[in-house]
Amino acid sequence: MATAVNAEIFYWWCTALMIAIHAGFLAYEMGASRAKNALASGVKNLVAFAFLVPFFYFVGWFIYNAFPTGFTISEAGANALPWVQAMGPNLGDNASGIFWAAFTLFAATTASIMSGSVIERIRISGFAILAIVLGSMVWVLGASWGWHPNGWLTTSWGLHDIGAAGCVHMVAGFFTLGVLINLGPRIGRFNADGSVNEINGHNMPMSLIGLMLIVMGFFGFLGGCIIYTGDTWMTIYNTPTTLSAFAFNTLMGVAGGMLGCYLVTRDPFWMMSGALVGVISSAPGLDVYYPPLAFMISFAGGCVVPKLNQLLLTKFKIDDAVGAVAVHGFGGVWGLVACGIFASGYPNVEGPAISFLGQVQSMLVFAVLGFLPGYVLSYVLKMFGLLRSSEAAELAGLDLAEVPVKAYPESRIPAFGDGALSPAE
Amino acid sequence: MNSAPITAWEGAEAYFTFADKPALLAIFCLAAIAACVYTIVSMVKHENASSRKLNGK
Repeated sequence: MATAVNAEIFYWWCTALMIAIHAGFLAYEMGASRAKNALASGVKNLVAFAFLVPFFYFVGWFIYNAFPTGFTISEAGANALPWVQAMGPNLGDNASGIFWAAFTLFAATTASIMSGSVIERIRISGFAILAIVLGSMVWVLGASWGWHPNGWLTTSWGLHDIGAAGCVHMVAGFFTLGVLINLGPRIGRFNADGSVNEINGHNMPMSLIGLMLIVMGFFGFLGGCIIYTGDTWMTIYNTPTTLSAFAFNTLMGVAGGMLGCYLVTRDPFWMMSGALVGVISSAPGLDVYYPPLAFMISFAGGCVVPKLNQLLLTKFKIDDAVGAVAVHGFGGVWGLVACGIFASGYPNVEGPAISFLGQVQSMLVFAVLGFLPGYVLSYVLKMFGLLRSSEAAELAGLDLAEVPVKAYPESRIPAFGDGALSPAE
Repeated sequence: MNSAPITAWEGAEAYFTFADKPALLAIFCLAAIAACVYTIVSMVKHENASSRKLNGK
């Protein structure tokens, strides 16, 4: 019983720490928005969180338990349906609720990854639908396939992705890419000749603090990736590990990513995004990397990801307001591939050992799993006029169209109805 | 590249990548130190260049 209670306590606090990720996304995205859109960006995050909790209860937990073998429903799914005895207060079950809670926060994190990219032009209703599908269905199907002791990506190909770089970060990043293609850029982002206009958020310091909160929350997230057994720890693939292993490599990864991004950009926003790049780059092998190797993998990721974001912007005209596709999508790609390069040969409990080929194949599965639903669903929403705010609302500011209160009531915000609107404002 | 120093988990202790290859560990450690030093050098160069620019030189 003591083991069960200790496990409950551990995951309780991991879940609480993960709330910091959402405080972080809230601050970071409101800061990255122009003042006229600050509250609409924040409401979007709050709405995603509030919808994700019940929807993960309704379907998400079932999907995780039901589909580790692919698209056929396994028996374990029956114990995760929302009307069974395990899914409510039950003195004989100390595990279901606390694991559901931790996974619910993983789900909300996945949906929040998308939310920063689409700020300042998406309809909150359309975003809520996308967030529900991504957070309670799409990523968790990937988690069932590749972040589960019996997931087919591990049992068939030996996938190793301890920190969820694939099912969380890659799936969210590529889902977001699909959405951005249909959503289009903010008004004024590009000139007629294709050149790019800078659109700066209204509060960079708030964004930086938000990003640091996300980094703090990741200690809860990564703690929640480990299984407490009473006298030791196991990875989600049932291989032995220690919290010390995660401590070494999470911190080295954060530092490597920050310095890599700083080296190539000098931009504090990218430096803090680099901390996320660092965590994601090292995430698949947090349990096995030599710490200086984790540092170098993350440093390399930090040097490359800002360039990829620039490429998406200038070459492909993808207006990703916070660079989430590059940070999470391509950061996840690099993390999985790097694990194949640097951690091949480790035995799995189920399935073959870690291999480069297995990591690359799994990475491609996650890319398709993320991109297709994001593209198709956002296309359908666009057809029904539910994806993008009206041009008038975008120019006036989404706060005016979506929110009944003002972010800065004692400040004069030029966008609010004084006729001084300009497209790139 | 097989980087695992173990073939089974039973009895494993220091199981991190290349734990049985001290030369490679030294190389990765030196590479990480070099990345830090290079970043500091590039900071100095960046600051010097910015100062020169602001001073109109």
